Amino acid sequence: MSRRRARPWLRWAGFALLAGLSFLFVLPILWMTTTSFQAGEKMFQLTTEWIPSVWHPENYSNALRHAPFAQYFLNSGIVSVAVMAGNLVFGTLAGYGLAKFRFRGDRFVLVLILSTLMLPLEVTLVPTFLVVHAFDWLNTYQGIVGPLLIDAFGVFLMRQSIISIPVDYIEAARIDGAGELRILWQVILPQCKPALAILAIFSFRDSWDQYLWPLTVVSVDSLRTYPLGLVQFGEDYGNPPTEQMAIAVLATIPVFLLFALLQRSVRQGFGLSGLK
Amino acid sequence: MSSSASAGESLANGRGARSRVGPWWRPHFQRRIELTGMAFVAPTLLFFAAFKYGPMLWAIGLSFTSYDMVSTPHFVGLENYDNLVADPVFRVTLVNTLVYVIGSTVLITVAALLLALAINTGVPGARHCMAAMFLTNLMPIIAVCLVWRFLFHPFGLVNQLLSPFGVGRIDWLTNSDTAMPAIIAVTVWRFAPYFMVVFLAGLLAIPDEYYEAAGLDGAGPLRRFWHITLPQLSPIIFFVVVVSGLLCARIFLMPFIITGGGPGNATRVLSMLVYETGFSYLKMGRAAAISVVLFAIALAFTLGQMRLFARGEENVR
Repeated sequence: MSRRRARPWLRWAGFALLAGLSFLFVLPILWMTTTSFQAGEKMFQLTTEWIPSVWHPENYSNALRHAPFAQYFLNSGIVSVAVMAGNLVFGTLAGYGLAKFRFRGDRFVLVLILSTLMLPLEVTLVPTFLVVHAFDWLNTYQGIVGPLLIDAFGVFLMRQSIISIPVDYIEAARIDGAGELRILWQVILPQCKPALAILAIFSFRDSWDQYLWPLTVVSVDSLRTYPLGLVQFGEDYGNPPTEQMAIAVLATIPVFLLFALLQRSVRQGFGLSGLK
Repeated sequence: MSSSASAGESLANGRGARSRVGPWWRPHFQRRIELTGMAFVAPTLLFFAAFKYGPMLWAIGLSFTSYDMVSTPHFVGLENYDNLVADPVFRVTLVNTLVYVIGSTVLITVAALLLALAINTGVPGARHCMAAMFLTNLMPIIAVCLVWRFLFHPFGLVNQLLSPFGVGRIDWLTNSDTAMPAIIAVTVWRFAPYFMVVFLAGLLAIPDEYYEAAGLDGAGPLRRFWHITLPQLSPIIFFVVVVSGLLCARIFLMPFIITGGGPGNATRVLSMLVYETGFSYLKMGRAAAISVVLFAIALAFTLGQMRLFARGEENVR
């Protein structure tokens, strides 16, 4: 329900303003999409041709032919799904442990985990590379996935979500003789689907976006993720920017799809159910 | 099962159950729950020990050495830090990073709050507008960078949209006065919608009664915002400022792709310097020293915000 009912004309003015703003926000996405179907020489005209006079869907097939993007996307997909799974599993475990168990030093552990938000890969890049090198994981999938597998954001999100679940449920299940993992699976998880949806989307997106780490740890073409491939593609002579945009569109689709799939849960997870 | 019997017993006994001593291989119920909690957190802590705390300590150690991945590192004391302080490129990069972090954080917070307030007025279609804006946060960052590099081209969309307002053709990315503002603009475009959603959740959680009471007292919209909305949102503003600040402190790809750090060094940031120093020039010790500086900035920023907001809380009470 809306909070303060404004006068009708004011509401419509507000609508126009908001719609205009959202349009401005979406404009670059529209530009990317239309450019991916555009002829190469039309890219830098004085006015943007929003609807191509001639459509060039072959930009997509050409781009896929000019570089092994199928392989790059596959690599990115493997890495992102693994990172998403790792965050879901370990984020839930640690989040549950911190939300519903009291043990010595539990508050300190929480601070310790949250403090890693100040230690992103960009900060620990050199020694993380040396760690992965010591594991002999350079140029492997586990080398790309390893350092990304758990993020404090997921632990915190799951803790905040689980903490509001009444402890009585857990104790009742314990009295019934349920094991701790079964309690987590059957009592806790069904009640934090919104948080799981948010964690799934953000952990997928973050590893799907990841550029610096694969750049550091991968030096063979067959293991490159698509962002590395796409930048290289742009630097290689003779590949028109329209084909870059085609790959950019293809790269956008999985994240948008995941969001569309989980949209309802995400809205709940953000606490936006009250929004009209 | 015996565990269920002991569970009921210890629940009935309450805390007194803790004093009962059993054999060490079958710890008592309370103790077993404690251990379970630790076991759930342990994998994450181990992981962070291997990939966060360990590397950070290693970075601090490395920063006092000279290391090129080939020969063994040798101790050089504060030489890396001395060299950094004397290096004009590092100094420019440090200033750039601070300008970028502070500028982006302030603008993201203000823009996100304004957008959330606009959506919270409940105008028709607000939810769809929110979803549309949120898409900018889901678009792959590499696509964001490539698209905006074209949009900022002299013939690009930005100049086309600005030309009706009498703005001449600006070459945004090759001008050292406009390159950093351009990158900050992309940052705000990318992150403000996410924090807008965070703010919106906070706004929806403020009880309606507060506004109704203020309305009865004849408080106008501005006073309601100042005396109800802002104090109620204070913890969320803290969250947004800290998280967006940390996000911006680690920024790499935007300047790396959009401007390549140029023109000159106008948009070079510390994370780019870490990568180049460590992996292009193989000066691992020096790169580690830059990492330590970057960490110090993140730490100072976080602690500073904590102090600031702790004081703000006291003032409100």
